[in-house]
Amino acid sequence: MTERSTPLPSVANLLSACEERRALIRRSFERDGSGIPTLHALCELADETLHRAWNILHPAELRRFCLLALGGYGRRMLFPHSDLDVLFLFEDEPAEKKFKPLVAELSRTLWDLGFRVSSAGRTIEECRRVEEDNVEFHLALLDRRLLAGDAALYERLDTRILRDSERRARDFLTTELIKLTQERHARYGNTIFHLEPNVKDAPGGLRDHHAWVWLEALAQKAGSSVRNPPPLEEPAASAIEFLSAVRCFLHYANGRNDNSLTYELQQNAAQRSLGAPADSRSDPAEWMRLYFQHARTLNRRLLQRIELRPEKRRSLWAGRLRTSARAARRPFLVEEGRLILADPAALADRSGAFAFLLAAAQSGCPPAREAEEKLAEAWRWRADPIESAASAWPRLRELLSARFPAVALRPMHRLGLLADIFPEFRCIDALVVRDFYHRYTVDEHSLRTIEHLQELAEPRDERAAHFSDLWTSLDRRELLVLAMLLHDVGKGMPNENHVAGSLEALEAAAARFGLDPQEKDEARFLIEHHLDMSATLLRRDIFDAGTTAAFARTVETPERLSRLCLLTYADIHAVNPEALTPWKAEMLWQLFAATSNHISRSLDRDRLHIVYETPFLEEVCRQAKARIEDVEWFLEGFPRRYLAAHSPAEVAAHFTLYKKLAEEPVQSELKARQHAFSLTVLTPDRPALFATIAGVLAGWGMNIVKADAFANAAGIVLDTFHFEDLHRTLVLNPGEAGRFARNLADIVGGRAPLEPLLKGRLRAARARPPKVRVPLAVRFDDASSAHSTLLELVTQDRPGLLYEIGSVLARCGCNIEVALIDTEGQKAIDVFYLTSQGRRLGAEKQEELRGALAQALA
Amino acid sequence: MMKLEAVIQPSRFESVKDALRELGVEGMTVHEVRGHGRQKGHTEVYRGREYTVDLLPKIKLEMVLPDSLVQTVVETILKTAKTGKIGDGKIFLSRVEEAIRIRNDERGESAL
Repeated sequence: MTERSTPLPSVANLLSACEERRALIRRSFERDGSGIPTLHALCELADETLHRAWNILHPAELRRFCLLALGGYGRRMLFPHSDLDVLFLFEDEPAEKKFKPLVAELSRTLWDLGFRVSSAGRTIEECRRVEEDNVEFHLALLDRRLLAGDAALYERLDTRILRDSERRARDFLTTELIKLTQERHARYGNTIFHLEPNVKDAPGGLRDHHAWVWLEALAQKAGSSVRNPPPLEEPAASAIEFLSAVRCFLHYANGRNDNSLTYELQQNAAQRSLGAPADSRSDPAEWMRLYFQHARTLNRRLLQRIELRPEKRRSLWAGRLRTSARAARRPFLVEEGRLILADPAALADRSGAFAFLLAAAQSGCPPAREAEEKLAEAWRWRADPIESAASAWPRLRELLSARFPAVALRPMHRLGLLADIFPEFRCIDALVVRDFYHRYTVDEHSLRTIEHLQELAEPRDERAAHFSDLWTSLDRRELLVLAMLLHDVGKGMPNENHVAGSLEALEAAAARFGLDPQEKDEARFLIEHHLDMSATLLRRDIFDAGTTAAFARTVETPERLSRLCLLTYADIHAVNPEALTPWKAEMLWQLFAATSNHISRSLDRDRLHIVYETPFLEEVCRQAKARIEDVEWFLEGFPRRYLAAHSPAEVAAHFTLYKKLAEEPVQSELKARQHAFSLTVLTPDRPALFATIAGVLAGWGMNIVKADAFANAAGIVLDTFHFEDLHRTLVLNPGEAGRFARNLADIVGGRAPLEPLLKGRLRAARARPPKVRVPLAVRFDDASSAHSTLLELVTQDRPGLLYEIGSVLARCGCNIEVALIDTEGQKAIDVFYLTSQGRRLGAEKQEELRGALAQALA
Repeated sequence: MMKLEAVIQPSRFESVKDALRELGVEGMTVHEVRGHGRQKGHTEVYRGREYTVDLLPKIKLEMVLPDSLVQTVVETILKTAKTGKIGDGKIFLSRVEEAIRIRNDERGESAL
């Protein structure tokens, strides 16, 4: 055959016929918007055109050569601008050589007729071998059908060659298909909830349907053909029709094989109610919800198919694990990284459902799909009639404060449980809010923020390393997670400012769950200020002391600063995978560190003058039933942080203790909190007071994790210690709390010695080797305070440490004006504001103290 | 045509961007960069660990301008990016031979 520059006359006739038919199909689609009929019509057109071209180019009957349709064309789903996947099959190499000119001519002709041919050529023997580096070709072959040529050759390929090789390669193809699917999903962040999704390749796209069909085909029993997928059922059939229509629409709108559902095209599709009842979905956001509903159907069906694939053999070991779990009455266990139900009866009620979700959040193992279905059923049908929102909060709090809260929140959202518990969340379900930065829907963004936080437990890159310690040592984690869940809920409300809407949602949730005022205030602060830190980063000079001082005034306490910093980190990170650049992460860290230092180094510059705090003062007076001048006298001179860290109710309780000082000069209050105890001690200042209280706690075997010590203008000291009861003395013996309080009062009051209590305790504590060694770092700062020298000390944490430090300070004649004690894992981080004889420490005293600390803490 | 590169404080970026938009500057490329000129870095101690920031965060703007706009843009950047403190950044100008719009092969200032 020779080269030619113009089509043969008969082919030219075909071209006009083709164009006419294409235009007709397009008009029909534009009229009724139906997807599958359009694909079938395009496929018929391709088949007919190909037959006619074949007959024009080679009218005689052919042997030893045939033409097959593969992939989308093979399964009769041909989109307007999709490639025409075909295979030229030859009996052997001589046949291949002989028909090569015909193949070239046919390919050229089809291109001339407007078909984008994507062809492959194989001899029948070549088809016998599975090409391990070309899995896509073998998957496309599963959709094969004969188009033209030697039918006997095709029959031999179909019933003998491929049936046999596909049966042998079934496991390999299945594994590779799952791997390809996982890689494809990972490219799209493993979520269907993209603001501008790709309707073919993104999770939930048509490729998920193809993968499902191939998996079904490959799973058919040995001995049968792999090519008889089961008929489609609802809701998958509707989802495929919808997505097919959308993809046709995109091809026609873009004039090419571009499957991105952009904002502009979402609007156009919504306007014409594509795939929806006429006039029912003209709002693009509502129409996109319909898209996500269908995408979710296809995505869930595929993921379930992958996880539950019947061809997967359960190991003997897994079987034994299930049996032993049932025998040991353990309702859940982990199998292949998924949490499964060993005992289905464990989900008898919502309480069981919460326990299951909590196990997921604590273990980090997501529920298996099968267990998810049972969970949904339990939630739907077995609601406990006495269940109230207020009684649910303690369980929810435990779940939100676990190490992996999103591992539970994800399936809760998928199954609609999250919206049951937080109806406020419903308004952002699959909500598209258009901007140039966000990549995901609002609900997806919110869940991603929590996932980014929990990833900090094992930081993946340098960028996350700084923030990892903050997350792992964070107190009241549930408040941050609650704020993250609700921070953008306002975007689904009619409010002009979404923050105001989110705050309304928090108010409603807090009232329903019965959150205490402090919990609500903390979550409220985070939502209200969730954009402040990123705004400060980008619009202020973070290396300017004035910027840090102003930002410190906003956050007030280090706890809030840590939470807001983590929220900002996660919020930026969840905008899109590229949003949190190392540059931004570094800026965020710099602002955090500078503000944290500012807060801990400026305490005695920022003393309370209660005259400025009238509303707070009135509330304290009301709660303490006290005269305003008495409370004023008590509060005067405390660092401002004292008010920031305590609610009016707590200050009223402290004032009540203060009033009792005349009866007993050491007043204390012990409270059990979620993971620790807190001890408040109020007493007139005296030498070595801080060390003595720390010593009593060490003597009782308590591990101090956090503490602060403040004094008012009248020299009344208020020390607060948060400690873990290592030996569960107070937990298991409620009567011991009274004995502890008496013992504390006696020792601090000088009526009993401390040493016998400590005997043996410290020696035993020192004998235990630390898990991680933290070197001692001592730093003095004379610049931050006009009255005191700041001692910043970082060292290995251990029981009794604070007692030892306090004792060294007392021996060196240092008075503690303010103390801030914190721990991060094995690291103790303490800041002391020190004076000696009413003045800052001189250089000599600092060196003496440095030496004494090094000796004592070595 | 001139290529303008400006290294500015991140905190001034929004103001500079808004001011340039008002002038009719239609396109720019923005980079998050780190560096230092005369303004050296500083050291921060946080929880006993020393963090040395010797390369400070800056924003680098790049744009190619018609000759008629160069002087006004320079003056606008000078005005809006200036805080008066060390570290305010620099502006560099260089001559550009040609600009080509890839979509339609348009050339010269009309391609900007």
